[in-house]
Amino acid sequence: MSTIRRFRAMDMLRFNNVNLDRYTETYDLGFYLKYMASWPALFTVAEAPSGSLMGYNMGKVEGKGELWHGHVTALTVAPDCRRLGLARGLMRGLEDASEKIHDCYFVDL
Amino acid sequence: MEYRQLRPIYDALEGSDPQRALKECDKLLRKHPNHPSARAIKAYVLTQTGRTEEALALSLSVLETPTAMASAHAQQGLTLAFRALGRPHEEIMVYTAALAHTPNDETLHCKVFKAAARNRIFKEQHQAAVQLNKLFDNPKYIWWLVVSLLLQARDSPKNAAAQVQLKLAERLVEKAVADGNLKSVEELRVYLDILDVQDKREQMVEVMDVNGQLAALIANDPDLVTQRIELLIKTQAYGKAVEAAIAALKARDNWADYKLYIEAVIASVDPAAAGASVSTICAHLEAWAADRDRARSAKLAQVALATRMFESGFGDAAGLPELLIWGFIDQFQEKAICYTDIMQFIIAHHKAAGKYDAQAAVIDYHWAQLEKRMPAARESAGQSDGEAQAWVNLEKVRYLMQALRGETDPSAWLADIEVLLNFGLTSKPARKKQPACSDMTLLACQRIIQAAFLAYGAMSARAQLHSALFKALCVLESGIRLNEGNFMLKLYAIRLYLYLSCYERARAIYDSLSIKHVQQETLGHMILGHGMMLGCFAADMELCYDGVAFYDRFRSKMPRDIESVYDQETYSNIQDFIEFQRNLDCSVQHECTHRYALRGEGFEYGSAKEMVARWEEADTRSIEHTEESLGALHDNRDISVMGLLTPKDLAQWDLELLTRPVPMPGHEWIQAFSLVPQIMHHMVCAEIELLQAKSSELAAIVDKHDNALPRSDLILIRGIVDMVALYIQATDQQHAVDVQLDKLVEGISANLPEDQFDSLFVLSSDGIRNLSAASELFTYALVLKHALSAQHLPAANAVGHALSQQRKRALKSVNALRGWTDKCTRSLVSDQWLADGDDAFAGVARFVCDSQKQTVLAVTKACSTSWLRSVKNVLMQWEQCSS
Repeated sequence: MSTIRRFRAMDMLRFNNVNLDRYTETYDLGFYLKYMASWPALFTVAEAPSGSLMGYNMGKVEGKGELWHGHVTALTVAPDCRRLGLARGLMRGLEDASEKIHDCYFVDL
Repeated sequence: MEYRQLRPIYDALEGSDPQRALKECDKLLRKHPNHPSARAIKAYVLTQTGRTEEALALSLSVLETPTAMASAHAQQGLTLAFRALGRPHEEIMVYTAALAHTPNDETLHCKVFKAAARNRIFKEQHQAAVQLNKLFDNPKYIWWLVVSLLLQARDSPKNAAAQVQLKLAERLVEKAVADGNLKSVEELRVYLDILDVQDKREQMVEVMDVNGQLAALIANDPDLVTQRIELLIKTQAYGKAVEAAIAALKARDNWADYKLYIEAVIASVDPAAAGASVSTICAHLEAWAADRDRARSAKLAQVALATRMFESGFGDAAGLPELLIWGFIDQFQEKAICYTDIMQFIIAHHKAAGKYDAQAAVIDYHWAQLEKRMPAARESAGQSDGEAQAWVNLEKVRYLMQALRGETDPSAWLADIEVLLNFGLTSKPARKKQPACSDMTLLACQRIIQAAFLAYGAMSARAQLHSALFKALCVLESGIRLNEGNFMLKLYAIRLYLYLSCYERARAIYDSLSIKHVQQETLGHMILGHGMMLGCFAADMELCYDGVAFYDRFRSKMPRDIESVYDQETYSNIQDFIEFQRNLDCSVQHECTHRYALRGEGFEYGSAKEMVARWEEADTRSIEHTEESLGALHDNRDISVMGLLTPKDLAQWDLELLTRPVPMPGHEWIQAFSLVPQIMHHMVCAEIELLQAKSSELAAIVDKHDNALPRSDLILIRGIVDMVALYIQATDQQHAVDVQLDKLVEGISANLPEDQFDSLFVLSSDGIRNLSAASELFTYALVLKHALSAQHLPAANAVGHALSQQRKRALKSVNALRGWTDKCTRSLVSDQWLADGDDAFAGVARFVCDSQKQTVLAVTKACSTSWLRSVKNVLMQWEQCSS
């Protein structure tokens, strides 16, 4: 349960509770901005009722012809927000956007 | 032919060898002095070698050459030069000059547009978009024009032209819709933005009609679905908002839609029949709560609805908030997020109860519920991580209740602390490294810290406070040993180590968190500047340079990201990117990082000539601030990451605030440390009037805001004000400088260590900070002496002599401190910080000494080593400084 919405640039100033987890990489700013600029519908964030960020999903589309597909670049959930089905919800969003907006054939990792 | 001539220059640039590139440029220019491309590229190369004034002069000269811009190489060289020089208007002039040769070059027109867009020169951006639309038939350029109009209007909303621009943008979009040229969600979002800026909400609702032309675009975008519901509420179409919310919630489980559903219902409640007004939403929430996949959202929505109804004066029409709160906790307490979810509603309900004088009753109710559940929760915690998490959540609620009822008795905060510690650190689940145990350890630490500040918050009890915080540190480090991945334990450990003046270990933990890139903006404040305060100048400078490099990279790359939004046609990002750019460009942490870097560079020792030259050449113009520019700074420092369990407005229970080692730098600090380099510059350049003005400004900051500045920085700042007074007196050669010199020397002496040391408090409190400040002040005083000598002022001798004596005294006392720190501090930790007393912390001391011996030894060593490192660094500083 959360609000799943598009990731905004200003969210980068609020994602420490997700990114301080040792298995989550913090990329260069340009990496996040490139994904927002190129594939905004595939870069989503889950926000808790308290307003804190719970996790996010970065995706893109690539390939040609029947290999045109969505790709999961990064998917992460804050340690205290795990085991809630959040990653499943974020992935569902990415699959929907890949299919309905980008007309992809499949999604891969 | 031209490329062949230029190739050696390009090869040198590709090899990152600007010096060689410069040589190749000069070689070509000797043969062909007016070669426009060689001159243009030379201008760029000069920017890469730091010769910016020459670069600018050459660039402007090439720009004025009529035929130069016919060459693509010259265009490229010159645009790169102007970009490096930060001259966007001139960059645009390069393209417009090139267009005089090839007026229908679409690429060039696009370059004009993008140069204006990435530099936020909206007027030029608009003009370029108009040209693109006039000359080329590409629907994309219509949207570039529309967005340009919108940005221009937003940038100057009070400007009379803004309304005209918005109307024109609206008309262009309406035409695009009519022609079938509005095809993407991004274009739709631009349309909605234009209407939103004009407050045309009814029209927005029409555009977003579910049966309208653009319905398919909206249905595929969850954000727009939610935005539509919001709009319906704003236009008071509550019935439609409710319908839309229900439809959205049937399709997906989205908290924002629940909130809007509740808002729409509350706005349309009939006070005479409140129960009936909420019967439908209650039935919906009940039905959704029965669905396992969405139970959490629906149950929390029930709590939210009941709380809002209570706040709005409709009593328990949607249920009793306190009952529903405990219903939620009972069902979801095994999830780590449970407390974070429910905390805001417990606080809101408690606050609303204040209207009816019922806050105490609410707390009593919650307390009774806790007492009913706690024994069983503790009993079953060992059975699974879920059961353990349930206990942790109940303990967090207990913590909140104690804060809300204003509990100030430290022993109440430490009741059962050993039970929590045992579970977190020594139990079977702890040995299995269950996540809930780590959470319990953190909670126990938070209690110890809270109790410590309540018991020993007064200045006279600081030594006991440090003893209590040391015990908390032992618990934190034990927790970290068991679970290296728990970053909250590490954040608290960083704070407490710095509180006890232990930089080295704090820095090691900070480094283990791999904080980088944008996190330097949001988390850099945890460590940056503390090194300088604690004698570890070089370590801090490393971080400063990383930070400066981050901001420089951001500044040079962000404009490209803004440009790419136009290429990708994802226009909804533009306003967001611009806001982000403004935030990072003008942020408190950005300014602090630069000030610390300047401060660290000022502290570097060198010969007399070098030290004076450093301040003569310092660029002090770019760091001048006005009240307006300070007020425009954004504060992006993340303090919420410390996971507070209590509301922000309860300062006495705000652990983030309590554990700050020194006040966080704010506007006053930035202004003070902008003035210090300016003062040093004016002093070495003998600019007396400016010096007096800046010194008065600095003195005024100290007089008005001394609570906002760390004590050690106040020592430095007051010392610099005294230094200026001495310098001005010295320039009037009729009068002696004895009084001012004594004051300056006293300002340094008073902060050197005393002769006898018998307490750890000497080190853990302000001792090292004050000593570092005294060392820093001495370095500035040396510059004063060198400036007096260079300006042939007779006072130079007296100042030099006094500083020389001061240095001898300092070397002696700091050396003594170093020896004592090395020999005595470890045993003193046992004697002074771990001995069983009869205070409330005895239980904690017993626990750590009995079951965490290795950690206690490690923490003792970490503190002792950190202090020794700090003192040694300061000693080295004094050894290097010689007048």
